[in-house]
Formats: sequence, structure tokens, C-alpha cells
Amino acid sequence: MANEISAKQVLSAAKEIVADVADFGDAVNAEVRHHTGGRRKNAYVYIEVVASEWRELALWLKKTKKVDYCSMITGIHWPENADATWQVVAHLMRTGVTNPTVVNKRVHEIKVDIASLSGNDVPMEFEITMTIPDTREPSVPSVADIWVGADWNEKETWDLVGIDFEGHIGMRRVLLPHDSPTGYHPLQKQHKLRYHDFNEMYDDAQGFGRKPEDSGRVK
Amino acid sequence: MILMATEDVLSIRDWVRVATDFISENTIGMSRHWEYTDSVSYFLMEFIMCVMVFGGIMTTLLVLLWMERKLLGRFMDRRGARTSLRSLWVGENGVTAGEWWNQLPFGTGVPVGMLNKFLNEVAGNDHELEVVSRVKNRSYHGVWWLLPGFFQNLADGMKFLTKEHMVPEKADRYVFEIAPFLIIATTVMCFTFIPLSPNFYSNDSEMSILFLMAVFSVAPLGVFFAGWSSNNKYTLLGGIRSAAQLTAYEIPLLVTVLSVVVLSGSFNLIEVIEFQADSGVWNIFLLPLGGVLFLVVMVAEVERIPFDMPEAEAELVEGWWTEYGGMRWGLMFASEYLRTYAACLLFAHFFLGGWEAPLEDTIPYIHYVPHILWVFLKAWFMFIFFVWFRAALHRVRTDQILEFGWRWLLPLSLVNLAMATALRLWVYDGINGEWPLLIPILITSISLALFILLSVDEDPEALEAQTRPFSVQTVDVASPGQHRE
Amino acid sequence: MAEMWISMGPQHPMTHGLWTLKVKVDGETVVDTEPDLGYIHRGVEKICEARDFTQITPYADRLCYASANTWSHAYIYAAEDLLEVEVPERAEYIRMVAVELQRVASHLMWLGAYCPDVGNLTGMVWCLREREMMMDLLQELGGSRMHYNFPRIGGVKRDLPIGFALRCRAKLKLFLERIQEYEAILDESTIFLVRTQGVGYAKAEEMINHGVSGPNVRAAGHNYDVRWAHPYSIYDELDWEPSVERPSIKGSDCYDRYRVRVEEMRQSALMILDGLDKMPGGADTHYQSGDPAILGKAPARAAEGQTGFHHFEDSRGESMFYLAGGGDGRGKHPYRVSIRSPMFITIPYASKCMIGYKIADIPAIMGSFDPCIGETDR
Repeated sequence: MANEISAKQVLSAAKEIVADVADFGDAVNAEVRHHTGGRRKNAYVYIEVVASEWRELALWLKKTKKVDYCSMITGIHWPENADATWQVVAHLMRTGVTNPTVVNKRVHEIKVDIASLSGNDVPMEFEITMTIPDTREPSVPSVADIWVGADWNEKETWDLVGIDFEGHIGMRRVLLPHDSPTGYHPLQKQHKLRYHDFNEMYDDAQGFGRKPEDSGRVK
Repeated sequence: MILMATEDVLSIRDWVRVATDFISENTIGMSRHWEYTDSVSYFLMEFIMCVMVFGGIMTTLLVLLWMERKLLGRFMDRRGARTSLRSLWVGENGVTAGEWWNQLPFGTGVPVGMLNKFLNEVAGNDHELEVVSRVKNRSYHGVWWLLPGFFQNLADGMKFLTKEHMVPEKADRYVFEIAPFLIIATTVMCFTFIPLSPNFYSNDSEMSILFLMAVFSVAPLGVFFAGWSSNNKYTLLGGIRSAAQLTAYEIPLLVTVLSVVVLSGSFNLIEVIEFQADSGVWNIFLLPLGGVLFLVVMVAEVERIPFDMPEAEAELVEGWWTEYGGMRWGLMFASEYLRTYAACLLFAHFFLGGWEAPLEDTIPYIHYVPHILWVFLKAWFMFIFFVWFRAALHRVRTDQILEFGWRWLLPLSLVNLAMATALRLWVYDGINGEWPLLIPILITSISLALFILLSVDEDPEALEAQTRPFSVQTVDVASPGQHRE
Repeated sequence: MAEMWISMGPQHPMTHGLWTLKVKVDGETVVDTEPDLGYIHRGVEKICEARDFTQITPYADRLCYASANTWSHAYIYAAEDLLEVEVPERAEYIRMVAVELQRVASHLMWLGAYCPDVGNLTGMVWCLREREMMMDLLQELGGSRMHYNFPRIGGVKRDLPIGFALRCRAKLKLFLERIQEYEAILDESTIFLVRTQGVGYAKAEEMINHGVSGPNVRAAGHNYDVRWAHPYSIYDELDWEPSVERPSIKGSDCYDRYRVRVEEMRQSALMILDGLDKMPGGADTHYQSGDPAILGKAPARAAEGQTGFHHFEDSRGESMFYLAGGGDGRGKHPYRVSIRSPMFITIPYASKCMIGYKIADIPAIMGSFDPCIGETDR
């Protein structure tokens, strides 16, 4: 039995997906790319999508392409780029994990026969990006009801980057303190890093001291 | 007058009585309340005896704490008996870490150092630096582990005395202060009823076991008070769990004690011991089930692992005593060990013949060993089991503890009571002397055989299919406590 | 008794790190939970935007401090994707040795913390004792006991030390015997079985939908592992298989998750032994640091528009780094570093798993998912 997925299996599965995505038309652009893993080159599917079509694409991926796992949804702020200021990058995976089978009231674990995987069973990585032009309140549709794993990822993206997710229930600060100022999203580029060079910390009058606005704070 | 005042030279009670009589006659007896001379003398004697007994217990409590530390360390390291023993003096390069004996004045520690060096030469590490896996070579203790470790608990006690006493702001102050009193006072009171030797006891009343059990059982109330009054959700949970657990285990405890009382024919603890002496067989060989039950129930009553859910660190930080500081906490901590000590002493008295030496008739000169030493040796030996359980076992969940107590221990204790009754009525009352040797041998061997059969419970079919011993692979709903089909 | 909210944390012996778990209890039964993270949010993603690519590796180490090598290697593979670097084969083997040793050490730390959670203090001492052996090996390899800064973009910092293979084989053989001791104190203890079986059920498909992966999913009956599904490094040349447990009909319980990790420790130890035998150039040769056999050439800049990512099998699940090039210094710094932490997604799921069980099951369930807050909060 083979020990791992072969590059050929992955490449052919990726090409299949890219071919099917073409049915979506102009809003979605897909291509097969490769990323290295040490000495290997693994194929993966790279999709660019318009933000309004994201949910439809996500549903289609889940239903027809059996994409079952949302790894990460993150955001990037490009202030110099007026027509693509906000970028959301979603990494999804098709893992092929199913519940183990039950035979005669006994559970049998699944040990995948790797060499025989093909088509929609081949594990696959996806990278999906969408951009939003310059706006003060960037927002993309939420996929938290499609993959629950996206829920906390979206919370984090809003918390740190500032991109909102429509339809997400229970959006709240998750890494920053709950009472952080509204509109404060540190990963935006206008917030510069303090103390980039360690010497600055010594020279600053406040230095290691507590900031006055932090006093009395309850987290 | 004082010289030959007592009949029995060894009897400390008589000596104290003589002294208090003397004091009483010369003070009260000379006053206008002279008719109270006798009662005052008796009261004083009892008071002094209680203090002496409790003093003896507290001193030897240090042995218990030391045993627990050392045994736990050896168990947890699991290095085997020989390595553990050797670890007591092994040093590296012939040098033992610490070498505290060099600090003693006037060179009194030199012989200690010589002994340590001798042991290291005879059975220590090689005198070169050993570049061995660190895992195998990690004992740096000196041979005189006894004394320095011994004083650790005194240091702990002094630390507790100097810590701040805090009462949480919204706590119910009166109940908060009363709870430790309840716990500690009743625990200390237990020891009046425990005799340490035929000559050194403070209480010889007809109902001493009854009083003892009654006083022992008040502590759960104090625990509940402590947990509730601290105004802390964690302690409340701990207090409730504790109250439920201790109440659940009171009944098997009382029934087991009752079985011993039935077998021995008296509620007087001293007469229970004398029964075992007169009848020639220790109770444990007649009631082995009772012994095991008593041990298990006492582990639950003193809230040690595996039954220490009320103070489980993983969830409740310290459980019902979280909010206490300083000596109140220290005394409650001591009361846990005092109750354990009481449990061990009671086991020794109920089942192991109290102060009787084993095999008295066969081993020569054994009656020169003082009775009080036998009592302590047996109690300390039983404590090893307590520590062993703590080192090896996991914490049982509260509802599982309660299930165990009500479903398993209570019926077993009733079975034990039936056996004790049968033995007393049908077997002993006809004999009225010493047990014929057949009976304890029969009972012990049947119990051992049953125990071995029940503990070797391998299911070969399950092992083959590699299913788990507690089958959870059914479609029925199983609540987490229920694991038996 | 009425329902009440109990706050477990942030200072609490059970939580394995700095976070709060608010639990709503009805008597002893858990009715609702709400996790609260972010206490040690250090802003690593923002800091990395002002660091060179080689300067980011120590930050990656400090993400999950119990499992440092897996995180720095995850970052390095992503950086190599961004900068398009080729890695020599011997370097890959050395990396595998480091990563698997770290996985064993991380699982030992987990087991050493899990035993006191269910009440057994002896297990903790034993596991930490073996972990010391792994720490010694990792110290020889990486230079320090915890944060090694071991991999470099294009290879590794230095080769296996002289005599490392001998000591590693001896210690791993001893370790494989010692695993049987853990199984003796845990698997053969009725109390442990009763505490962990039937508690904390979780099904595989539900977990994957929630974003949980790694040993938690393998405990639920499917042997999905990033090392064979999205391959990287030289795992196909080794003789191994991911450890998978047969769960019950209702899903995997804490006992399955415990068994999966014990089997993973075994598998990792066997993998290292195998890798030492198959290493190109032999495990006993020692190349100097910077030798092309262990370190390939790497560019120092990444232009805007270049991106790189890598999914990695961390001790706790599937972790991922996503790097976007084009930052300060004409691309010497990354424009964005995005870190995917498996535990950040698993902790909310584990909190949901607890509903319906008793308070006393909370440490058992939470501990069985192996939380590490360093990577959660970044």
C-alpha cells in the first residue's frame, strides 16, 4: 500500500476541479498552482472570486466537490492599492474524512487505501482570494454556517484586520480585550509597530511603564 | 506513700491518679468544698491523660507525614526496591549533597560522615563522573534522611502560624469561623477514645466505640459549613460534594464497625482488643471482608485519593478549604492526617489485635517489646496502604464515588455484618475460649480465593477483538457514570 | 440548585494555559460553556511584519512552547514556498528527526499534564522523566531545551552532533519500553477507564466541519494525516502509519484520544529510528554548518504578489502559515504573516463537547484535546 498521495493523483484531481469551476463564468477564476513542501511540488487549486459570489462558490465547493474543512480565513490590508484595498484569503481543504462504518453494532475504523483515491476523494488544498475596493467598512459574506470552523477564523479576522462578515452570528473580539475601542484593528497598516528596534524601548520616556490609558482596565 | 502507691507499676493512669489525689487532697480537701475532692482528682487525671495521649499522637504524627513524603517519592520514581534503598546514601564521586553533619558544633557530626562515606564506598556510585543517561542516575541523598526530612513538618507548622488570617468580604463570618473549630475539635476528640496501650489510655467507658463514631461523623457538618460560608462557587461545590460523599460512606463505616463490635461482644474498644487477645485470633482473619471494607471506607472518609474529589485540584483549586489561610488551614490540613491516623489506629485495634504481639507463644522474647510500640507499628504499616493508593490510583468522579458507596459498599458491609453475627452466635458462643484454628484458616483462604478469582477478570474474547473492557459500543444511551451493561 | 456561571480561569490549575472557560452549571451538570481567549495575545503576526525572514523563526518557536520545533518547521516550509528554495535531502531527514522528537516530547508533556487532571500524580512524574530524555536529545540537536531556532530557510542550522545517533537510539529504545509503564498505570486502572470512557463524545465528520484535525480526528476513526494527504518532507520513505483508534458508535471519547497519542509516540519513535538508518550520508557523518549537504541557497527578498503557504501536521492538528511578500525593505520583510493554530479552532469545539457532562469531566475532556494556549493566542 502506498505511503502517501502521489503528485500525479493530486495534479489530476486539481485539474478536474479547475475545469469544473470554469462553469461559474467571469466572477470566478481558477487555476492549478504548485507549492513546495521541502523537495516536493504539490498541486493545489487557486481561485480568485468576486466577494458577492463567495457564498455561492463555497456552497458549490462543499456540495459537489466535498470540501469539508475550513483551515483559515484571513485578511490583508493594502492601503496603497485603491481598487483592491482589502483582501480576504480563505484556505480550505478537502480531507475526505467520514464517520467510521458500523457493522454488527461494532465500529470499524477507516484506513484509507491511498493508491486507489481518485476524483473527489483525493485530498486537496484550496486557496481562495477575494478583494474589496477602498471602503471604511469592508465586508464579505460569511461562510460560518457552511463550515463551523470558519466561525472563529472570521471573528479573528474582524478583530485584527477589520473586515466584517455578513451573516456571521456572534461577532465579537476574540484575541484583543473585549473593551477595545471600536474601529481599532491592529493589523491595518496605519498602525505602526512601536519599538521596532529594541533601542527605542530604552529611549522612550514611557518605556516599559504602563500606559496611562491602561490604568484601571479590567480584561 | 507515693512509692508503692500503685499496684501496677506500669500503669500511667495510676501514677497520674496518685499525683492528682495528692494535689486534690491538699487543696480542695482542705477547703470547705472537700466533698468534691474525689471528682476533682478524677477530672484532673482524665484531663492529664487526654493531653498525654494526644501529645503522643501528635508527636508520632510526624512519622506519618514523613512516611508519606518518602514513600510517595519512591513510588513515583518507581526505581525498584533495591535502587530505592540504595538511593538513601548514594552520592556522586563519593560526595553526598548537603553534608549537613559538618555544620554540627564540636564535631559531633563526624561519625555520621564516616558512616555515609563507608556506605558510599561499599555500595555507592563509581568514583568517576558517570556520563550515563540522566534518567538512571538521579539520587543525591545522604544516608541520614531521617532527621532533616523529619523536621520539614515542624517548619510547615511554623509557616502556617505566621500567615495572615483572611475572611472573604462577603463571607458569612460566624459560620466561616466556626467551621474549622468543628472539624478540628471533633477530630481531636476522637483520640480520647483510642487507647495506646493497656496502661496508657484515657478512656475506658462501656460505649467508647459509639462515642468515637459519633464524634468522627460530625466533621462532615463542619466541612459543609466551610464550603458554604466562603461565598465562593468553587468551595460551595466542594462542600456539597464532600457532604454527599462523607454521608454516603458513614453508613458502610458504621455497619462495618458494628460487625466488629458484634463479633467481639462489646462497644468498649479495650474489650475488643482483649477479645482478640483471649480468643487467640486477630479479627482480620475472621472478617477479612470487613477489614478491606473498613480500609476502603476510611480512605473515602478522610478524603484521600482516590476519593478526594471534594478537594480535587484539577477543578476546584483546593475545594472547600480554598478560602482559609494561616493556621486555620494548617489545622484542617493536620486534621486530615489526624483522621487518617485515627483510621489506621482503629484498623489496628479492630482487626490487627491492637497491642498484642503476633505469634506470642512461638517467638521467644517477643513480649519484651512494649505494647505501645506494637500499636504504632501496626498503624504505621496500615498507613503504607493509604499512601500506596494515593500514588497509584486516579481520582474517582463524585457520582461514581456515590454509586460505589451506595451500590457496592453498603450491601457488602451488610453481608459482612451477617457473617460476623453468624460467627458470634453459632460458632463462638458454643466455644467461649479460643477459636479453633480451622475457622480463621478456612475463612481467610476462601476470601483470598474469591479475591483472586474476581480480580483476574480477563475476557479472552474481548481481548481478541480488542474491544474495550467497558463496552461503550452499543446504540443504547449510556450516561457517563454507567459503564456496566 | 439554580443554574450558575462558574468561571474557570484565567488562573486555574486545570486550564493548561492562560484562558478562561466560563461554565454554566445546573448542580453538577454542565449546561453551557463560553471560552474566553486572548490573554497572551502577543501580536506575533504584526511583529513579524517588521522582521526579516530568518528573524521570524524564533517567533514561530515561541508560538506553542511545548512543541516548538513543529511550529518553526511549519514556518520554514511556508517561507521556502514563498522564496522558492530547494532543500537538500539530508536536511529533510534531519528536520524529520527534530520534528518527530518534538512530537514525542509534546505528547509526553500532554500525558504528564493529563494524569494529574484525572487525579494520578505518579503518571506526571514518570512522563516528565521521559521527557527529560527527549529534551536532552533536542538540546544536543538544537542548542537549547525549549526554543531551538533549528531550521533555516533551505536546510538546517547544523548537522547531527557526533554520537547523536548512538545516544538517540539508546534513549528511544529505553523510551519504547517505558511506554509500557504508562499503559500499565493507565490502561490497567479501572478508575482511569471509568473516568475517560464514555466521556466527551465527538464524531469525525462533525469535527472536520468544525475545523478540528490531527490526533483528535484520528481518535474518531479516520486515519487522515497531513503527512500523507498533503505530503511534505520525506515521510514516504519511512516505514510508518498514522495511528488511528476505533471509537464507539457515539463518537470518540477521551480514552480514544489518549490512546491515539500514546500510539503516536510509539510511531514517532519508530520513525526516528528508521530515519536514522536511512539518512543519506549516514547518521554518523557530521557536516559543517553551512555545508550545501544540509543547507541550500535562499534569496532574502520576496516581491509583492508572491505568496507562500504550507499545511503542517503539528502535534495538535493541522497548522498553517500563509506569507505574503512585499513588505518593508523592498521585500526583506513579509507583508503579512498569517498563522493558523489548530488549538484556536479546537478549544471552542471542545467547549461544546463538554455540555451534558459533569463538572468533574471538564478537566478530563479539555485535557484530552491537548490545549496549548501559546499557539491559540499567538
